[in-house]
Amino acid sequence: MLDREILLEKMKTSPYRPMRSKIIEARMLTDKEKFFRIELEDNTRLSYGPGQFVMVSIFGFGEAPISICSSPTDKGYIDLTVRNAGSFTNKLHQLGEGDIVGIRGPFGKGFPVDNMFGCDLVIVAGGLGIVPLRSLIRYLMHNRNDFGSVQILLGCKTPKDLLFGQETKEWMRRAEIKFNCTVDRADPDWKGNVGLITHLIPGVDINPTRTYAVVVGPPIMYKFVIAELLKKHIPDHQIIVSLERRMRCGLGKCGHCQIEGVYVCQSGPVFDYAQLKKFRGECHEKN
Amino acid sequence: MRKTKPRVAFFDFTDCEGCQLQFANMGEGLLQLTELVEIVNFREIMSEAGQDYEVAFVEGSITTESDIKRIQEIRKKAKVLIALGACAATAGVNGMKNRFPLELAKSRVYGDKAGTVNTIASLPLHKVVKVDYFIHGCPVYIPEVLQVVKCVLMQKPYALPNYAVCVECKMNENVCRYEKDQECLGPVTRAGCNSWCINNGNRCYGCRGLVDNPAADAQKDILLKYGLKADEILQRFNLYNDSLGEKYGQEFK
Amino acid sequence: MKYAALKKENLNKWLEYLKSKARLYAPKKKENQFVFRPVKNVDEACLKYIPTVIPPKKYYFPQKEKLLKFTVEPFHTAKAIAEFEEFILFAVHTCDIAGIQCMDVAFKEGPEDPNYLNRKEKMTIIGIECLEYCDTHANCASMATHVPRGGYDLMLVDIGEKFIIHINSEKGERLVRNVSYIKEAGAEDMAVLCFVREKKKNIFKEEFSAGLDRVYQAFGDGFKHKVWQDVGRRCVACGNCTMVCPTCYCFDVVDDMDLSLNSGLRYRIWNSCQMDDFAKVAGGEDFRKGRENRQRHRYYRKFRYPVDKFNRYFCTGCGRCSRACMAGINLVETVNALMDGGKLNNA
Repeated sequence: MLDREILLEKMKTSPYRPMRSKIIEARMLTDKEKFFRIELEDNTRLSYGPGQFVMVSIFGFGEAPISICSSPTDKGYIDLTVRNAGSFTNKLHQLGEGDIVGIRGPFGKGFPVDNMFGCDLVIVAGGLGIVPLRSLIRYLMHNRNDFGSVQILLGCKTPKDLLFGQETKEWMRRAEIKFNCTVDRADPDWKGNVGLITHLIPGVDINPTRTYAVVVGPPIMYKFVIAELLKKHIPDHQIIVSLERRMRCGLGKCGHCQIEGVYVCQSGPVFDYAQLKKFRGECHEKN
Repeated sequence: MRKTKPRVAFFDFTDCEGCQLQFANMGEGLLQLTELVEIVNFREIMSEAGQDYEVAFVEGSITTESDIKRIQEIRKKAKVLIALGACAATAGVNGMKNRFPLELAKSRVYGDKAGTVNTIASLPLHKVVKVDYFIHGCPVYIPEVLQVVKCVLMQKPYALPNYAVCVECKMNENVCRYEKDQECLGPVTRAGCNSWCINNGNRCYGCRGLVDNPAADAQKDILLKYGLKADEILQRFNLYNDSLGEKYGQEFK
Repeated sequence: MKYAALKKENLNKWLEYLKSKARLYAPKKKENQFVFRPVKNVDEACLKYIPTVIPPKKYYFPQKEKLLKFTVEPFHTAKAIAEFEEFILFAVHTCDIAGIQCMDVAFKEGPEDPNYLNRKEKMTIIGIECLEYCDTHANCASMATHVPRGGYDLMLVDIGEKFIIHINSEKGERLVRNVSYIKEAGAEDMAVLCFVREKKKNIFKEEFSAGLDRVYQAFGDGFKHKVWQDVGRRCVACGNCTMVCPTCYCFDVVDDMDLSLNSGLRYRIWNSCQMDDFAKVAGGEDFRKGRENRQRHRYYRKFRYPVDKFNRYFCTGCGRCSRACMAGINLVETVNALMDGGKLNNA
């Protein structure tokens, strides 16, 4: 009975079983966000694309979905950046170099980098949104000639909340990436823009047919940013977003991440606006 | 694995000590527990009373001015303060007193000696001091107590279930009490007890308090479906949940 | 042999035989309702019963199931899946068999769920066809689950003095082959079966006011329909409707440390989209607020989303959600109100 053999083979592995992984670097980026560099068991390499996520386990404390913020072109490790926002992430923040966590994944669909070849990119990040986008930006940097112009628009609450501040300088220098930042509230040293991120978009020079806009931020941000991008005539399927949802399995089973009939963990977290438009009213980012 | 065992003390205020009794009756579980913590003060199982502790389990409601001073002292010493049982967590049955003007309650209970009695409204602990962990129930459900103890030792918060007792009751495949013509408070009461009472043929008395977001209007439909009077339900609920009477009164009238 | 016949007087003998082959579960009376339970005494098995409080789902998707055994220091995970013994579910209604088929589709969709497959592989299903309605809550005729449509190993039909047994798998055949008192069904038996089925057509009538195509369409148009406000206002969010549903499979994952605080188990536990925190993320945003939206989601997960995804309705017509609803929210009334644009009775 061949079926049974196949079945038994399948049962030997469980998609619920995390891999032993070691934190090889850990540092606070702001007073709320911590950066982790993680090496997987036996130098296993995770085959992932920018925009995908992993389930991170700390036994006894549970498991949570975390965006990968390194690029597949960064070999030998994955990076995660985590905000302290609950009992699991609070525990994760207590861990440091040498500590062990469990990793499952990668899960979901990432940014459609293959479709973006040869195109200009406008990357819009609000707050923590820069975390999954860092994966994309590093990928662009390592494959710079495959893409047209790249501009990053970044918004955060105050200059202190700015993530990857040092790195952005490197992105600008090494990869001819244009970078524009705005804060809600400035401090005396701040010389950049003050105000909403939506105000930066009208000033951006966009050739809509060959431009992909990639937007990641808090739920409230999307509809305003998307409205501005639509004014620039960027086609629906070239406006790309990544959505956050509660997740327990990553396998399209547990039900928590559903938007109407769609499991975000499997069909997302990355969607284009054409897909978003099809939701009848359960997608906060669109409504 | 652990360097030193945290020192644990038990205290009680206005209560029946029934929750502490649940500890004492744990049997083997209590022995396992003592491998994790050192119990320095527990009147029901030991004679000496240590005053050097890190974790305080506090049973009972606050009902006098001196109670307030005493719980504040306990709070000062304890790194972790746990409200043990309904009286401590919601004021429980003691809350019934708050249904009446204080003077009336005093004279009903103490008659002509009422003037000599020093008493205030019944309060759950968190109305007076900061509470780190809540263990609901009258009495507490030991498997939940163990979960909370583990949380204390692992220094993580205990996530109180925020759904109805019905959920656990259905998982236990009990026959709904309403099908047996009994009023049961399961649909609006916070789970976490594994539907202990219903599993044993009883109904839910609401001893764990309401879920965070109980249905205000919907209760009427239950009454309609099963032909019950609002007053009956309200009375049932008052047994354990009167200390916050204003809120619950609104929900059920 | 495709159809066999078993005289009723031999039923208990056969149940004893089944019990000797594998763990046997059957419906049993519990107070004034029914539950699936291990059969200790074959007399207890009920063949005529109102759908059990919770469906037989608990045997292949348990309320609380181990996913993983773990140790913190040194980091270790043990095989999450234990070996299970063979088991037989006896006297399963056709609606609940439809429920099993739905769960199959959901758990076999990649990435497959090994825990589910593992249990399912050990399971033998012996169904029983209902010849009249269990009670007024069922809507199995509309869902076309009142007749056997595969998904079982054996199917019993009561034709009076005998049960006709439809043999639908090799696994099933092994339980009737070489059993002296089970004979191949004769032409006369088959004629009675036809007669019984014919009679049944007059008893079961579609409960919805229109066919399933129209139902599907109504869900397509009715996302903002006022019926969801009505249902949401009445719902107490007790979660009963999802807990008793044979096709609800949402779960939560929790770690349970043992007292060593160094090792423990990771479980999955039934969870419900009707719960307050179901779609809330750590940052506090709740992506499905309000009982009206949560109830709507439940209905769409039965009548629209799975049809788009799997070409299958995830309502089995068993009537459990209506039976168990504390507020008397009735599935047939809700679906009909959605189609007719009408208002619910006691809304």
